Amino acid sequence: MSKQRSKQYRARIDHALATPKLQQALHQFGDAYLLAREKAFSGYDFEAMRQEIAAMKDRVRENLDLYLDEFITNAEAAGATVYRAATAEDANRYIADLAKQKGAKLAVKSKSMASEETHLNVALEKAGTRPLETDLGEWIIQLAGQRPSHMVMPAIHMFKEEVAELFSKETGQQEPADIEHLVKVAREQLRQGYFDADIGITGANIAVAETGGIALVTNEGNARLASTLPQTHVALIGIEKIVPTLEDAAKVVRILPKNATGQLLTSYVTWIRGAVPGSGGEKDLHIVLLDNGRSALAASPSCQDALRCVRCGACANVCPVYQTVGGHVFGHIYIGAIGIILTAFFHGLDNAAEIVRACIGCRSCVTVCPSNIDLEEIILGLRETIGEEEGLGAGKTLVFRKVMRNRKLFHSLLRADSLLQKPVTRGERSIRHLPLFFSGLTEWRTLPAVAEKPVRDIFDKIPQRLETPRYKVGFFGGCANDFLYPELGEDLVTVMNHLNVQVSYAKEQNCCGVPALYSGDKETAIELAKQNIDAMLADDPDFVLTTCPTCTMALQRDFVEHLKDNPAWAAKAERLAEITVDAAGFIANQLGAADVFKGLAEQRKVTYHDSCHLKRGAGVWEEPRRLIATSGHELVEMAHADRCCGFGGSYSLTSHPDIAKRILGDKLQDVVASGADCVAMDCPGCMMQIRGGLEKQEMNVEARHTIELLADALKRKS
Amino acid sequence: MTDQAQYVAAFSTAAENVGSRVVSFPDLEQALKYLAQHAGGTIMLPDFPSGQRHGLAERLEQAGLEVVSSDLREAGQSALAGLTGVNFALADTGTLVLESTDEDIRLATTLPERHFALLDPQKILADSLVAVAPMRAMHQRDSRNYIAYITGPSRTADIERVLTIGVHGPKELHILLVPGFSDDLLEM
Repeated sequence: MSKQRSKQYRARIDHALATPKLQQALHQFGDAYLLAREKAFSGYDFEAMRQEIAAMKDRVRENLDLYLDEFITNAEAAGATVYRAATAEDANRYIADLAKQKGAKLAVKSKSMASEETHLNVALEKAGTRPLETDLGEWIIQLAGQRPSHMVMPAIHMFKEEVAELFSKETGQQEPADIEHLVKVAREQLRQGYFDADIGITGANIAVAETGGIALVTNEGNARLASTLPQTHVALIGIEKIVPTLEDAAKVVRILPKNATGQLLTSYVTWIRGAVPGSGGEKDLHIVLLDNGRSALAASPSCQDALRCVRCGACANVCPVYQTVGGHVFGHIYIGAIGIILTAFFHGLDNAAEIVRACIGCRSCVTVCPSNIDLEEIILGLRETIGEEEGLGAGKTLVFRKVMRNRKLFHSLLRADSLLQKPVTRGERSIRHLPLFFSGLTEWRTLPAVAEKPVRDIFDKIPQRLETPRYKVGFFGGCANDFLYPELGEDLVTVMNHLNVQVSYAKEQNCCGVPALYSGDKETAIELAKQNIDAMLADDPDFVLTTCPTCTMALQRDFVEHLKDNPAWAAKAERLAEITVDAAGFIANQLGAADVFKGLAEQRKVTYHDSCHLKRGAGVWEEPRRLIATSGHELVEMAHADRCCGFGGSYSLTSHPDIAKRILGDKLQDVVASGADCVAMDCPGCMMQIRGGLEKQEMNVEARHTIELLADALKRKS
Repeated sequence: MTDQAQYVAAFSTAAENVGSRVVSFPDLEQALKYLAQHAGGTIMLPDFPSGQRHGLAERLEQAGLEVVSSDLREAGQSALAGLTGVNFALADTGTLVLESTDEDIRLATTLPERHFALLDPQKILADSLVAVAPMRAMHQRDSRNYIAYITGPSRTADIERVLTIGVHGPKELHILLVPGFSDDLLEM
């Protein structure tokens, strides 16, 4: 791992975290975006729309050469010159040569992420052609000598005062920091450029195979001017922008603005086919089709879905990490979740190696992606590739490979921790301060102490007297429930027994493997999957219950994925996935037993925090709310209830504690603003984070697992 | 309400929501009066079939407007307004579709600060998916084309995400609904 690279990355994080104005702007934008988006999609079936886009884009990927040939044939028949660029250098060389050949002094550009990707401006300058960005945001960052921090709003990180300063330098007079005025300055300053330019350079959002035409989706009108006034038009287009027909193009146009900015449609959609006539004679239209890693992406089974991307930028808009540090940290040229993946393929693994770990894995991007890309899963896959290329780091390798795979060793080390920590816990259940270099970990939240006796040690002593149980279920504790919160395990038994369900605890169960997987060690994750499948299926339970949604995802999704090509294990993994269910969902859905708790609880004002992997992984969010409300609590919704709490396992402990702390801060603010005296959740990880934050800040709000609240209600009754 | 009346209503709402001004007229004569009041200066008038058929150039001049129909690159540097017809429109998004292969149409709709568009309400379609058929017909008729979907005036939110109207294109879009102006989707 490059130390220099990591150091620079850390410096960028520190800089972003020291810019609260940026965070405020991105948070406000995220909120406004979600409202606008919801309004734009009202009356539409987003799920159906995005599945259609995904299927169409997959069809294109599977037949890419066919559709490319069709596009090229039709574009050439309409008088366009088409060049296929294998690399960024090829594309730049072609365009720079063309500029030289035309003796072009000035090229006006409308916004093109592909040209940012290839660093076309540098190539043009070397060829003696001045590139002039005309998109307002692009012009601002060109004047500032920066790169875009968002794919749709390149200058979203800048403030009007900074823009005024840049514009003042350009006009030679003091321009006031008034947005309307600044926009007018841009209009006036750039207008003559379109008339003077020899070349207009645009990107394209769509290339239609059926017609050989392209479509540009824009708001400002500069692409219309750049493609009209100069005699030569160059369109630089990634090959993944191909769609088969005009119907397909119409569907992309329908979903893209709604999902990008919450607009029903942008001000302009410009459809250009071929060399159209003009006052200076026929237009000289050059279409540069850019590969630059796209074919490699198409050929990667675990990453290829990313080629469906329509570049709406939504994955950044909703991302808690992006909202905390912005696109200059969380991105390279392309930013946000999709940026991680595209960077790896377009700009190399080295440029992606740091940001691939910056994803906290909350899956909020997955819910809004208009092409139905499972961004989180692809990022996990990439992490594994980078883990193999660069190594995991000696500490992690030792822990994952030597310790976690050996369950007895792992668990005896955890037990030893329980003894070793005594000097810092002073017998309490939370660690408030850690000495020396660990102190950063408890600076902003307490950490739970490792319990003296884990669930596995106490389980057999919990009395269960059921004559004819309705179901026999296995309990998958997961490390946090097992070793940090054993009382949650007891509560689960109390609740289940009350519902006439008998619970068993398989002692051979081990860590679910997610920490290893998230760190890029798939081999360990697979080994753990096998250990757990054997352990959990040994008693042939009716169901396997979880209290941790990350474990739920491992058992429901990851084990199946890891072992699908292994005939000895695939069917067993499927079986375990089928019977695995989170505890709250089990009570509400499989047992239909919410009413059993009716009115039993001592009424409290409770707000509910949606754990990322429960809501966006297992699809469970209504069930725990129903259980809490039915049991007699007053349920109040907090703002951003389903926004990540910033835990993310090792994300908050080792890889990005500074970012995790900010995300937790946002969550605590929302919890307190709800006015609740208790925040409920269904994840021990979230509990560790939120409870730790509340305790550290001495806030008078309790953080409880839904199962604990239900057990409390039952205990009160008895 | 008939389907068409519903489309007209939906179109007007959607177009006004994005800052277009939609005005209904009983006939072209009334629309021309509106133009005379609102053009504000020289008006760029490119050639288009429905405009020629209705003798727009002469009638605008009679109404006292200064009209330019040639050398529009030159005129576009200073003219305040542009006037075009519309091929068809989309109700769900309030969008105008203009076959703009003739460069003059583009100049008259990109350079001036005000764009006036004469639209026969008969030509309002439900949405962009319904529009694929006439789009395809235009592609089949001409081997090369430049077709513009225009939804409201030019806009940006690139500085602090504040919506600002009229950055590079027109600051005002006036949509004049004139029955009987042209009922052919393939004709402007």
